[in-house]
Amino acid sequence: MTQGPDAPRGAAPAARPPRPSLLASPWPRLALVAAAFAAWYFVFPSALSLGITLMLLAGWATAWDLLGGWTGQASLGHAAFVGLGAYTVGVTAANFDLAPWWAALLAMAAAALLALLWGRLTFGLRGAYFVLSTIAIAEILRLVAINERRLTGGAVGLFIFDLQEPFGLDLFSRHVEFWFSLGYLLLVLVVVALVTRGRLGYQMRAVREDEASAQAAGINPVAVKSWAFVLSAALTALGGCLYGVFLSALQPQPLFELHLSVRIALVAIIGGRGTLFGPLVGAALITLAAELFRTTFAQANLLIYGLLIVLVVLFMPRGIMGELERRVVRRRYAKSARG
Amino acid sequence: MEGLAPFLQNLSGGLLIGGIYALIGVGLSLIFGVMRVINFAHGEFVMLGMYLAIVLFVQLGLDPYVSLLIAAPAGFLVGMVVQRLVIARLVDIPGDSTLLVTLGLGLVISNVLFLVFGAEPKSIYLPYATRTVMLGGIRLPVAQLIAGGVTLVLITGLWLLLTRTELGRAVRATAQNRLGAELVGIDTPRIHALVFGVGMALAMAAGVILAPLLFAIPTAGASYTLKAFVVTVLGGLGSVPGAIGGGLLLGVVEFMGASYLSSGYRDAYGLFAFLLVLLLRPEGLFGRTVKRV
Repeated sequence: MTQGPDAPRGAAPAARPPRPSLLASPWPRLALVAAAFAAWYFVFPSALSLGITLMLLAGWATAWDLLGGWTGQASLGHAAFVGLGAYTVGVTAANFDLAPWWAALLAMAAAALLALLWGRLTFGLRGAYFVLSTIAIAEILRLVAINERRLTGGAVGLFIFDLQEPFGLDLFSRHVEFWFSLGYLLLVLVVVALVTRGRLGYQMRAVREDEASAQAAGINPVAVKSWAFVLSAALTALGGCLYGVFLSALQPQPLFELHLSVRIALVAIIGGRGTLFGPLVGAALITLAAELFRTTFAQANLLIYGLLIVLVVLFMPRGIMGELERRVVRRRYAKSARG
Repeated sequence: MEGLAPFLQNLSGGLLIGGIYALIGVGLSLIFGVMRVINFAHGEFVMLGMYLAIVLFVQLGLDPYVSLLIAAPAGFLVGMVVQRLVIARLVDIPGDSTLLVTLGLGLVISNVLFLVFGAEPKSIYLPYATRTVMLGGIRLPVAQLIAGGVTLVLITGLWLLLTRTELGRAVRATAQNRLGAELVGIDTPRIHALVFGVGMALAMAAGVILAPLLFAIPTAGASYTLKAFVVTVLGGLGSVPGAIGGGLLLGVVEFMGASYLSSGYRDAYGLFAFLLVLLLRPEGLFGRTVKRV
């Protein structure tokens, strides 16, 4: 998987290379995203739940992309972190009356630790070991959630019905949840924008393109992958906390399931791996399509996801934003070559 | 549960189920070894085999062990077609595209099964298969015995094919060095299609012999894929004999864990074993060395 600008043949060497869109400032577009969702709140007050699920999915996918896209280590177990976040809020609220913001910190720390150990275990090995282990670990967590009935309520589930209120805000109100979700999405986008434009971001891309060369350039691939994984896991778990409060009824089946992991990965792949706004675009497309064709999706959502994965990988491996970015870069190269 | 008899009972049950896991895992391992493709749709092909056996049984009254003769060639053909149409286009692209495509295929298959057959579990009732045979104080269900026998025949056949025929030599050559194989005149795309077909035939055959043993649910494919991964990693990715050992081991670990520890975690023991192997011996219990970064 080689992404990034590839120069067309025949470009004059003297021409000043244009700034790749990768480096174009993301902040105006970020403000646009914030404004668009804020407008959603006032224009579609009856579709707040849809907006929340969209923003959370977009946030998870953007966090997934930090590892799966920018670092090139596709994970099919990110549902583990979503479930970890949701269950941490639920379990600590029910058993210890812990405030949800402390629970969120705890969940992020737990996710980061899990990712660190997990990375230690698999990032040192070449081949498909990492992606295989992601499924295994999500599955183990699901079995724990089903079997540890005293803590998690088993297969029946766990209900969150009482939470401490930050600044007197009722966390079960869809209005409050909407703004929290928007804040979460923006936080993830800002973190990913900062990380990918910084030193770690370049190292991540170097590891993705060619691990041996990256190592020759003095980069420690295991450390870089581990950092990307830790960040990705903690951010996903934070979104999982919000999702837990949003659902208020936690069950192992939808939370830890492979399908959720697949959906997170899929929207990032459709939108464009290794692009800042790709996962958001993918999440928006999938969520809105699912809403429009709800009756079809209810029966055949996996069929549609499956076909989409096959088609996108076969015919548009860069995803929507990746394809757009390449066109823009090519046009700029062509222009600068003409002088 | 104490004493030798229950232990032997668990051991034999685990080995018999493990034989089926081995059958599933061998196909996955063979495909990986030759094509470097991890087939995420493997478990869904097992489910296809199960449902094919059920349909043939319900519609035509065909004994599932007879329908093996239909399921295995059908799996071979479907596998060849899938390989030619989809996977062959991606095999030379580095990265995870084949993994994602097979994952997508698996989702499509399991959803189609759900749309056709519904979510309720289905099974085959064979009066003779539900009987048990007593052997030195150990109860052996007939269905499991037959499954063990069929597995033994199929795996022996595969082993003979790989080691005793010219075609098997070509397959092994492709696995060892694709370019080298091409240089000596082996049509490696054909070998790839063939290997994928054989893998799918084994998966569907495993599904057929599982049909009288277990309930078929459209979504169960993912758990078989997972078991196949565990089997191959236990035995070493890409090693066919390793997958046999890994399968038997997984069956025994599951049976022992379920009866001596906690049955709720039955599916987790294999995964724990998988993580342990990754931690201690990533080349697999029977494998050679693995590349480290």
